[in-house]
Amino acid sequence: MIAARAMGDALRVALNDDNRVILLGEDLIDPYGGAFKVTRGLSTDFPLRVRSTPISEGAIVGVSAGLALSGYRPIVEIMFGDFLTLCFDQIVNHIAKYEAMYNGKVTCPVIIRTPSGGGRGYGPTHSQSLEKHFVGVPHLRVVAGSLVHDPACILGAILAQDSPALLIEHKLLYPLHMMLPAGGRIEGFIADEHVSADGLSTISIRPVPREDCWFTVLAYGYQAELARRVLSRLAVEEEIFGELVVPSQIAPLDWEPIDASVSTTRSLLVIEEGVDGFTWGSEVAARVSSRFFGELRRPVATAASDPTVIPSSKTLEAAMLMTSERVEQAIRKVAV
Amino acid sequence: MRPVLVPTSDVNSETGLLLAWHAGDRSKVDAGETIAEIETSKAIIDVPAPESGFILRAASEGAELRLAEPIARLFVDIDELERYSEQEQRRRAEVAEIGPRATEPARRRAAELGVDLASIAEEALITVGMVEAAAATTTAAVDLPDPLPGVAAVPRIALFGAGLGANQVIDILQRARSGTAVAVADDDPSRWAGEVMGVPVVGGFERFVALFGEGAYDAAIIAIASVSARAKLRDALEANGIPLANAIDPTTRIGAGVTFGTGNIVCAFCHFGVETVVGDNNFLSAYNSYDHHNKLGSDMATGPACTTSGLVMLGDRVRLGTGIHVEPRVEIGDDVQVASGSVIVASVPAGHAVKRRAVTTVVVPRRHDPGPQSMLISRTR
Repeated sequence: MIAARAMGDALRVALNDDNRVILLGEDLIDPYGGAFKVTRGLSTDFPLRVRSTPISEGAIVGVSAGLALSGYRPIVEIMFGDFLTLCFDQIVNHIAKYEAMYNGKVTCPVIIRTPSGGGRGYGPTHSQSLEKHFVGVPHLRVVAGSLVHDPACILGAILAQDSPALLIEHKLLYPLHMMLPAGGRIEGFIADEHVSADGLSTISIRPVPREDCWFTVLAYGYQAELARRVLSRLAVEEEIFGELVVPSQIAPLDWEPIDASVSTTRSLLVIEEGVDGFTWGSEVAARVSSRFFGELRRPVATAASDPTVIPSSKTLEAAMLMTSERVEQAIRKVAV
Repeated sequence: MRPVLVPTSDVNSETGLLLAWHAGDRSKVDAGETIAEIETSKAIIDVPAPESGFILRAASEGAELRLAEPIARLFVDIDELERYSEQEQRRRAEVAEIGPRATEPARRRAAELGVDLASIAEEALITVGMVEAAAATTTAAVDLPDPLPGVAAVPRIALFGAGLGANQVIDILQRARSGTAVAVADDDPSRWAGEVMGVPVVGGFERFVALFGEGAYDAAIIAIASVSARAKLRDALEANGIPLANAIDPTTRIGAGVTFGTGNIVCAFCHFGVETVVGDNNFLSAYNSYDHHNKLGSDMATGPACTTSGLVMLGDRVRLGTGIHVEPRVEIGDDVQVASGSVIVASVPAGHAVKRRAVTTVVVPRRHDPGPQSMLISRTR
């Protein structure tokens, strides 16, 4: 099943299981069914609880904050992750703060879903990965969908909490087939699942036992899939063995599975699609360097897109974004 | 569909490194157009398109590939290419369903060693190490031979590498009498317990180190032509405190003031002009001539008939092909690779390659010779 469909099914389960769940967003309802068709069919089956809204991200998210304070479980779709800037104030100054401001007497469990990322030639304002601006916000959970995490589990875990969450879904993942671990394996490779106290999991994938892996690669979302493919090919064709660690929650991070891998491989590469400089990867690098000072075999490596505006030309875009080739180059550097 | 093979007769290399693609995947190329560059142990080879068509890449830049396998496929039209590509993807998807059972290097190694992959009980990916361990358990049943005792007062030499390089080194030692080859070791367990020119293959690197500890030999020589292997092994031997010895053919003409480091292999009819300084661990083939005041680095390998003028400097890990001439005062930097037949007139910075258009020899019957004896003329273009 493709990722867009799996996410749609997860939303359907949420709507079915919990009457408090309400879906809001631009052009969600049928026949359009959302810009990436994730919500297709849902407004037909749940006409009162799946609603298209006017074009105002601040308003949509503000309304959701009110709904959440009143006991509903709003799930908002922001059509493109780039538009998160339009609801930044609602998220940072209101939704993430209410519970603390009212000393725990209220909760504001808004879930904001948004497609992110480039690679489609959509230009400077429809291609970004802006999650790095949200990963340091206190009391805000930032979660990233991937092919190896079941969206129903992710959504179920977030809904089980009473806190707000931003759910990043890379748009290039939507048409790809899910690749969930089965019997401890993904495509024949060993796949471990580590579930945090909040029920969100980190999947570790390795071709051979961890002791025989020389390095760890940490990545989420679409970059995790690019890294998985490269690592799989390098393992089979060249016996270059690295372990891929894919967290579903990228902030705050569950360090346990990362530490477990790095303490054995003693080498880490962090990959993300957001632009380089003051990144998720640099935070991980700082934390891991501090935790494993003296044990690492080389400095923690990071790879991110060039720190510039994303061009509309696909050729120029491919030259500055993290691509499969750049993922491979970054991996080869730590694989020596 | 036509496979694109690397045009090489380089018998020393089974694999090459794909340095760069010059033609885009699925792009149209003309016959003869250079589509890729491959680095082998001897040269950098330009790969031309054998005919016009659309190209489907079969390897990515930086990949180590087997020279016997196609690096790309050419199609008359783009539709044919897409059909092939789709089929290939379906086939891979089917393999992906169950996942690969063994790595590609492990499959090749199993074929070399005659190991049946089905005999290895492993749930995860089977690696070269597992294949070799499986082969070793069968090989270990045969007792590994001991080194030869050697001759009194002559240094006992052990060689690492039981390939064709070992024959050359043993031949040199037998003539030069500067040492006696008493043992050969090799990473390949299938060679263990065999012999090279009467010298037993005693095992792999571990045994090589152990035997030195037991005092079974006095010094080692690395009998492998690959410069990366030479450099790596030299480090490994040094780490274990094993000294290297030179093997210099007695036909070598050595001028006044010439100095040699250790671990050098100098084949027949070489010449070192006055005051030339030779580093360590070089494998210099026959008919190499380094004129006066040359300076050679370490871990180099050369083909036959390389000649330099005076005051030439060669860096570490330099690889020279066959039949190369170097002008005076030229400096060739570290890790430089020079294609066979080059004439080098200017210095080459470190890490660069000297390429040369391929010289093809065309063999044709003589047109105007009615005589009974068919004669062959070779001509170059």
